[in-house]
Amino acid sequence: MMSSRTQDADGASIRFSDHTLDKATKAKVTLENYYSNLVTQYGERKQRLAKLEAQLKDESLSEAQRQEKRLQHAQKETEYLRLKRLRLGVEDFEALKVIGRGAFGEVRLVQKKDTGHVYAMKVLRKADMLEKEQVAHVRAERDVLVEADHQWVVKMYYSFQDPVNLYLIMEFLPGGDMMTLLMKKDTLSEEGTQFYISETALAIDSIHKLGFIHRDIKPDNLLLDARGHLKLSDFGLCTGLKKSHRTDFYRDLSQAKPSDFIGTCASLSCSPMDSKRRAESWKRNRRALAYSTVGTPDYIAPEVFLQTGYGPACDWWSLGVIMYEMLMGYPPFCSDNPQDTYRKVMNWRETLIFPPEIPISEEAKETIINFCCEADRRLGSQRGLEDLKSVPFFRGVDWEHIRERPAAIPVEVRSIDDTSNFDEFPDVSLEIPSAPIPQGGEIAKDWVFINYTYKRFEVRNLE
Amino acid sequence: MDFLFGSRSSKTFKPKKNIPEGTHQYDLMKHAAATLGSGNLRNAVALPDGEDLNEWVAVNTVDFFNQINMLYGTITEFCTEETCGIMSAGPKYEYHWADGLTVKKPIKCSAPKYIDYLMTWVQDQLDDETLFPSKIGVPFPKNFHSSAKTILKRLFRVYAHIYHQHFTEVVTLGEEAHLNTSFKHFIFFVQEFNLIERRELAPLQELIDKLTAKDERQI
Repeated sequence: MMSSRTQDADGASIRFSDHTLDKATKAKVTLENYYSNLVTQYGERKQRLAKLEAQLKDESLSEAQRQEKRLQHAQKETEYLRLKRLRLGVEDFEALKVIGRGAFGEVRLVQKKDTGHVYAMKVLRKADMLEKEQVAHVRAERDVLVEADHQWVVKMYYSFQDPVNLYLIMEFLPGGDMMTLLMKKDTLSEEGTQFYISETALAIDSIHKLGFIHRDIKPDNLLLDARGHLKLSDFGLCTGLKKSHRTDFYRDLSQAKPSDFIGTCASLSCSPMDSKRRAESWKRNRRALAYSTVGTPDYIAPEVFLQTGYGPACDWWSLGVIMYEMLMGYPPFCSDNPQDTYRKVMNWRETLIFPPEIPISEEAKETIINFCCEADRRLGSQRGLEDLKSVPFFRGVDWEHIRERPAAIPVEVRSIDDTSNFDEFPDVSLEIPSAPIPQGGEIAKDWVFINYTYKRFEVRNLE
Repeated sequence: MDFLFGSRSSKTFKPKKNIPEGTHQYDLMKHAAATLGSGNLRNAVALPDGEDLNEWVAVNTVDFFNQINMLYGTITEFCTEETCGIMSAGPKYEYHWADGLTVKKPIKCSAPKYIDYLMTWVQDQLDDETLFPSKIGVPFPKNFHSSAKTILKRLFRVYAHIYHQHFTEVVTLGEEAHLNTSFKHFIFFVQEFNLIERRELAPLQELIDKLTAKDERQI
């Protein structure tokens, strides 16, 4: 045990070192999470058993067959308990390839050594994250979201940490992300756009029903599975961390019109090159923008930057921006710098413009305008998905079965670990950067790290 | 592993007599009610339907080890060779370390040293694949139950030391509800499965009686 032998000069009062206060906060948060989860897991286990018993009643099974199913279920629960007490670490996985890079870490394709299963491992550097005392709060929120509908949300199987990083083990979605798809395709057809916007809407609706706001809906966070269907990722963990996603970043800026504001076509001569040039500029800078810790407010609703607060409607705004980008080739407020983008967002009434040289149906245009308007009038802000179902642009969408139908653009995947739908990252080391083993003195006994562990029931079902 | 359970117990657990109770007892009782409002813990410790007893004991033992290690870690600044020259739980109880393997004869040592020996020993037990198997399908050894009892008995001593010697620091750090909840959970668990003998719990018997008075098993 590491202990600092501080002698109290004053016996009447206790002075705590910062180290002690840090450890105390961590202990308190961890225990609060533990006991909150204890109640949750107790209830969930009962629910699973009740669900099994209900199934057994419906099926015409002999008592011996029912007993066999009960034993199988009990064995699965026992295996889950064993899994819960294991200490997972980086050494349990073999890194196969770097498939993504974000502002605060990378994503690798990994294989679990004992089972051979393939996962996506996201590595996040603690030093770049929130204060350590809040890591558990952020993680607790994330664990709740892991219970979201996994039709629409990337499934997380495990999470753990070491002194340097947080690790999140997710299902691997070989279709890549929407940003990469848009970079390949430049634009999508209105049929393609309808498909992806509808699926994203279903995903957004599913998390709003859980009481969460994603707040960072953008093409990089929309992933495609092996069948080309869409799933949301990145809930909450990095929210608000990028400088340009925070109000403070713009404190000294007025909301005057941006310097590259081109006004309407009536006041300037628009050439067909303008929108094409913007699309090319956006595409050229897109990858670097995703990796930057500064980022861009392109997809963020204006009310997020005001002091008035914001609600779930901000996610529907982001969906409108993505819809515009799918059809036009760039988001409506893109600029050379985040400050100008901010000004355009805040002046959306004047800056949300459709270039006349790019064909777009009235229905699509109207839908985008209804997503990107005041929060209280915004499409989706009243009854969520029900708002969208009556909109002409979404005519013909099979909202109940869209996921079972063929996707708009098929994904070509040759094997379970095919990474051809991802970029190459030759400058990122495949080796996972983890804590160096301390030299000389005794190795730190970091026994508490498994308290940040999360493991999903059903992980064994993969076998 | 082969534990000479009875004889070791008499050597490492030495109640002292005719020493009056200190004022710590009053402090304990004053804060005993504070918990995290974590629902009915007596329900939570019950063996779930169809569950393997050893697996249930194993996963809970690991959790208690982590909790008490974390809680003790917050007061190590005040648990020093100078302040706690002997591993004690109030004036009547002190513990000497012996693991029966590398240290066969109980040795008198300071609380931080004792707890370091203890935690390292427990960690070694938890890491022992023959005792706490990690691979699916590997059964627990026949001596698992008695080994778990020894682990939990010793972990109790860390709770006892914290409550008796460092409760003021715990309260000042705002952790008393967390410590009480963890300890209450621990006690319900060991009572449910008879994992610690009643006499081993004597240093904190009043606290145990108070903390566990309300919760009854709910159907």
